[in-house]
Amino acid sequence: MGNSLTEIIINSIKLILVFLIMVQAVPVLVWLERRGSAFIQNRFGPNRIGPLGLMQLLADAVKFLFKEEFSPAKSVKFLYYAAPVVALVPATLAFAAIPLGAPVQWDQYVFHLQGYEISVGIVFVLAVSSLATYAILLAGWGSGNKYALLGALRASAQVISYELALGLSIVGVILLYGTFDFNEIIQAQQGPLILHWMGHEITFLSFLPNWGIFYQPLGMVIFFASAFAESNRLPFDLAEGEAELVAGFHVEYGGFKMLLFFIGEYGHMLVSSALIATFFLGGYTIPWVSMAELTQWVGTFIQTPNWISLVTGLITFAVMFAKIAVFLWIFIQVRWTLPRFRYDQLMDLGWKTMLPWALFNTILTATVIYFAHLG
Amino acid sequence: MPNIDSAVSSAAPNMVLLTDTIPVGIGLTHYLVLSAILFVLGMIGVLLRRNAIVMLMSIELMLNAVNLSFVAFSHFLGLIDGQIMVFFVMTIAAAEAAVGLAILVSIFKRYREVNIRFFEHLRG
Amino acid sequence: MITDVFLFWFLAIVTLAAGITVVTVTNPIYSALALAMTMIGVSALFVTLGAYFLAGVQIIVYAGAVTVLFVMVVMLFDLKYEVVAFSRGKVSGALKLASGATLGGLLIGSIFLTVNGVTKAVSVGTSEKAGDTTKELSRLLFTKYVFGFEALGVLLLIIAVGAVALARSKGGTHAEH
Repeated sequence: MGNSLTEIIINSIKLILVFLIMVQAVPVLVWLERRGSAFIQNRFGPNRIGPLGLMQLLADAVKFLFKEEFSPAKSVKFLYYAAPVVALVPATLAFAAIPLGAPVQWDQYVFHLQGYEISVGIVFVLAVSSLATYAILLAGWGSGNKYALLGALRASAQVISYELALGLSIVGVILLYGTFDFNEIIQAQQGPLILHWMGHEITFLSFLPNWGIFYQPLGMVIFFASAFAESNRLPFDLAEGEAELVAGFHVEYGGFKMLLFFIGEYGHMLVSSALIATFFLGGYTIPWVSMAELTQWVGTFIQTPNWISLVTGLITFAVMFAKIAVFLWIFIQVRWTLPRFRYDQLMDLGWKTMLPWALFNTILTATVIYFAHLG
Repeated sequence: MPNIDSAVSSAAPNMVLLTDTIPVGIGLTHYLVLSAILFVLGMIGVLLRRNAIVMLMSIELMLNAVNLSFVAFSHFLGLIDGQIMVFFVMTIAAAEAAVGLAILVSIFKRYREVNIRFFEHLRG
Repeated sequence: MITDVFLFWFLAIVTLAAGITVVTVTNPIYSALALAMTMIGVSALFVTLGAYFLAGVQIIVYAGAVTVLFVMVVMLFDLKYEVVAFSRGKVSGALKLASGATLGGLLIGSIFLTVNGVTKAVSVGTSEKAGDTTKELSRLLFTKYVFGFEALGVLLLIIAVGAVALARSKGGTHAEH
């Protein structure tokens, strides 16, 4: 956490702030989803409460807080109450490990704009995302309801199947950048696109930024599709499909516990968007501009180095959130556009399509890297 | 045991004995004792429980205890081979759990029971 | 230093409590969940020992896949939990417990007797940065232990085929009629 007291205090405040960012993103996302889906479906969304319906979720939250607190008669009480908390924790832990901005250097301290800085960032994020299965299973079993249990088993089978494709699609990125650390992966994606092949530098593609998506297009596609399955979003949400299996594993949940499940689901969406932005879109760097140039540009306005690095950090924070927002909008758009997969189609897609393509991507990446470094 | 200390330190002055590194702190002994207790817990579970699934879980517990002692040795000896062994143990344990559960599912489909006292007599 | 001590004792108590829960609780669901907690505790202990990559892999493989498999199997079986966890017969039960305790005593005693002779290899140092540890791990895996690595690959293939063949049932959406 730091050596001196100020460092520890600021790091603690930063931890709480990162958690609050994730929790506060949920009302914004719900509003965006309801207005966005209404826009796609050619109707109005909530537009009564507050300007443009922005206070709608506040009203919903107040309503949830005042609902009756009950548990079904045949439920296992401990698991029933523990499941929403278990749904919230992995998404929070994973989001706190992703760098949201450039490190800020103030006097002799260096503050990273993330909850905590881990050198094996990728492995940590994959590990805590795989713990999200327990929330589904606990909710299904704890409800004491046959249909909830069925939905939970199907949902958890889907989640662990797509975890494989998720992890394998990242292996290409790890091979390319040679590190597990998020900060180093982002630093390697600055500037314009210059390819190295057998000792030559290919610069005719310099009009593109040096992003991971141009090095790993197949990995990006597989990761993007698996991210949908991980957060149980359409087109992969048969397990909680409304109008088909009632609400799947959270059918017996109402009120505030349901809200916690939602925070978990949107948290997974947020983590997936942040990961796509980090691996394939350059993270917090501005395209075509390297961090040194940005610091220099900020240095023309402000003189003291502390404030330069702070303003740089804030600018990169805004850039990162712009990229995350783009992907969140894409998530919401896809949900209201595509139809749902049938369960056996879903499992076939995960095991027979995505897994072999992810393996092929790994082999191809390894081969290309080997030949590119031969020169 | 002062004889061993002085003997070893005079024979090989480069070697650092664990007893004189950290007087009060977490040493190799702590991790090894924890690993031993977990292992014995797992063994008691395998011997005493009658539910086949819980027996498989106790075997996993034993394998975890062994992993812990491998990594502890790797850290305190400065060799990384212990972590390689953990790779192998982890893979084999996961594979064995999968196959064990597949066999258990087949047994359950046939007999509708997982209590091992129904399988005490090898017949049928 | 004091945080290391506190961290170790806290994690050790959590892991031991979860381990005891696995073995003694009658309801198999709670056993499985306690097993997950044990594995997370062991992973945290790996972190205190500086094996960051292994800690992540432990959660991904053990707590995130193997234990989920156990939990799903228990839920599919829908077992009524047993009335009493341990086998009947006081003498045989006491004998099994005594043998377990004897083994525990022997193990711990042997640890205390021999740990003073363990010496640290001064020349080889483990670096603190996790990326270097992983590179070192992979270097060893592909040079010194490559035979075991390839054998593991073959083993996993056999396991996958075997598990599917064992648990297959007639019928289903892909069956031929």
